[in-house]
Amino acid sequence: MAARIRALESLPYIVGVNPFISRLYTIYRESLDALLREKEVTTLEENDEFVRRLQGLVESHANDIPIMAKGFQECKRYMTPSAVSAFLDGAIRSRIGTRLIGEQHVAISRSLSHPTPGQVGVVQTDLKPREMIQHCAAFVAELCESTLGVVPQLVVDGMVDATFSYIPVHLEYILTELLKNAYRATAEHHLRLPTPTPPSITLTLSRTPSFLSFRIRDGGGGIAPAHLAHVFSYAFTTAGVEDGGPYAMQHVGGQAALDAGAPPPPSPSTSPSLSPAPALAESVFTEISATSLRSSMGTIAGLGYGLPLARLYASYFGGGLELVSLYGHGTDVFVKLRSLEGGADVLL
Amino acid sequence: MRPSRRLHLPLQPIPSTSSTSAPTHFYRNRQLELYASKRSKPLSLRQLIFFGRSMNEERLIQSANYVRTELPVRLAHRIRDLQTLPFVVVRQEQVAKVYELYWTAFERVRSYPPIHDLHDNERFCEFLQQILDEHAAVIPMLSLGFSLSSQHLAPELLDTVLRRMLVSRISRRVVAQHHVALSRSLAQPRPAGWRRDQQDHVGIISTALDAGECIRHCVELLHQRRGPEGQERIGPEVKIDGDTETKFAYIREHLEYPIFELLKNSFRFTRLAHPQQPSEPSSLPPIQVTLVNAPTDVHIRISDQGGGLQSADVVTPSDLYSFSHLRNKARLASDRLAALKKASMSSRGMMATVQEQLRSEEGEEEAQAVEAASRTHLGIGLPMSKIYAEYFRGGLHLVSLDGYGVDAYLRLPKLGTMLEDIEV
Repeated sequence: MAARIRALESLPYIVGVNPFISRLYTIYRESLDALLREKEVTTLEENDEFVRRLQGLVESHANDIPIMAKGFQECKRYMTPSAVSAFLDGAIRSRIGTRLIGEQHVAISRSLSHPTPGQVGVVQTDLKPREMIQHCAAFVAELCESTLGVVPQLVVDGMVDATFSYIPVHLEYILTELLKNAYRATAEHHLRLPTPTPPSITLTLSRTPSFLSFRIRDGGGGIAPAHLAHVFSYAFTTAGVEDGGPYAMQHVGGQAALDAGAPPPPSPSTSPSLSPAPALAESVFTEISATSLRSSMGTIAGLGYGLPLARLYASYFGGGLELVSLYGHGTDVFVKLRSLEGGADVLL
Repeated sequence: MRPSRRLHLPLQPIPSTSSTSAPTHFYRNRQLELYASKRSKPLSLRQLIFFGRSMNEERLIQSANYVRTELPVRLAHRIRDLQTLPFVVVRQEQVAKVYELYWTAFERVRSYPPIHDLHDNERFCEFLQQILDEHAAVIPMLSLGFSLSSQHLAPELLDTVLRRMLVSRISRRVVAQHHVALSRSLAQPRPAGWRRDQQDHVGIISTALDAGECIRHCVELLHQRRGPEGQERIGPEVKIDGDTETKFAYIREHLEYPIFELLKNSFRFTRLAHPQQPSEPSSLPPIQVTLVNAPTDVHIRISDQGGGLQSADVVTPSDLYSFSHLRNKARLASDRLAALKKASMSSRGMMATVQEQLRSEEGEEEAQAVEAASRTHLGIGLPMSKIYAEYFRGGLHLVSLDGYGVDAYLRLPKLGTMLEDIEV
């Protein structure tokens, strides 16, 4: 945490006085202060107290990313896109790590009193991607239906019964973001063409001894070569919004998320059964570009951050995410996630 | 007494003295530098087509003189490349041979007298064809020579130089072959056995190349290929979808070779991943080929279910394109080295074409050597496919869904406006 504060302090002065960035700076300072005041935990009772405070801290940071996004969007005149990207990559990566430590402790403490089989802290050792896919797809399909009126079919093939050991919320985030892109592109592409039904989306699962991989293949028209270079950059570095196609539309969504005022921070759910509350999302945002995923990770979707963030999550434990576009036809996205049972160390 | 170990290691004999290692060679380099200081003039497919479409004697002579003056420049650049490499690399037997071939070709083309009439041109075409044939084995020579030099060159430098050598080689052959083909079609506008589809040709370029037909042709050839012991084999079904009617102007060989190589790999790994008896009905998962006719490019995606890339020899799919054994240990396999050596000794050589891999029926010993070499997995197919694709600034990209299969994405610019990717 101190490292992130130092990083914020080393930003150009003019960026630091931006109200959003300085708000972020204050939140970080307060959290660090709070953590430094904590005494050593010696008893379970003290631990319970600590866990409660920790949970409060985790919640207070739920909106960090939209705040940061807004701040940097306003500062784009003062920093090069690559400097912004480098800062955000570092900030988000460290955020994933910091939250992981905090949430892991909360979860371990909780499981001491309520043990759940198949779970070690926030890691679920028998995670079934197929169930998670169905869960995320249902959420995305509903959003798609309500805004565009068409829903493509999702076909899951390959090693459909594979299981692996991973953090459910990370998988959920990646899947939701990618499926959202695929559904929207397919539906929009279909509406432009006189085909009777939208082409189905295929998700192919594969499991090797140390990795779980999947490919999401859609027939949503692909990404224009001019935009391809930008799909992994954070929203404000992409081209104008009007001509941006499905990916740039997220930009608008992110704006909406902020303009709607800070949405109520979701309760940090540490149980594996996450509810991304589609009803809530629909009431706050009216179009699909404004869809926002709620999870214990806070409000982060709809900022044009979907792909870069999904890639950060995928690569966090030594996996990866790769996107290939066949312009005029569709897009393939490949994700590789390291199953966490072995010694998969990552430097936070 | 302990025998000194060093004494038992004879030093590699220095290759027999040749014109390029003679002391005078150093001083003759002035001529080369003169040519190397000129810029080569990259061409686009469209230029080649427009120039070739309305052919007459005058333009043909013009074309001949262009080839006569352009080839030495392009050769000089590559010879200079070789000259900047560490001494030990070019001293390597195979690379030394290439250096000598290039130097000889440079001298011969450079001193070729200007072409004034059709008769001159006819002799010039024979001359070009002769050089083309002499250089047939350059690809395996370079591949072997550079792989063996891996410890002397950083992998990136090795691949950069070799890539430049090979792209330039394609470019010189395109220029030369195009001229030879134009000369032939002017000499006999409608030869016996003239077919309608030849109307769509300008020199070596097909002006309406049918991508779907090309894929089906490759699939058919692969289904006809027999196993290593001549047995019949079951091949996976290949399904083609997308814009199956795609037609564009391209050089057939440059489309067919990558498709053939990629499908060959897909066939092989699909069979390996799903072993079965020949008597059983095929249970091999199909290979899906998707054709996309985008505004500026033609995309071809080949998806197989051959288990993906799970080799201990390479870390990422991009290592497969590398000629350095530091990045791809499979390059040190002894059967591979032996096969490369054989191919580089053969007079037929190895030109990286589809045709040369199909000659086993002829029963010629030479042809069999090439055909056998194509089975030994020389590691030339993928890097050459990528180089063919990149020649007119397209691309080849492989992604492995580990445990399931590989997706290969071939992209070729279809407007013909891209200039050759030859670095000066």
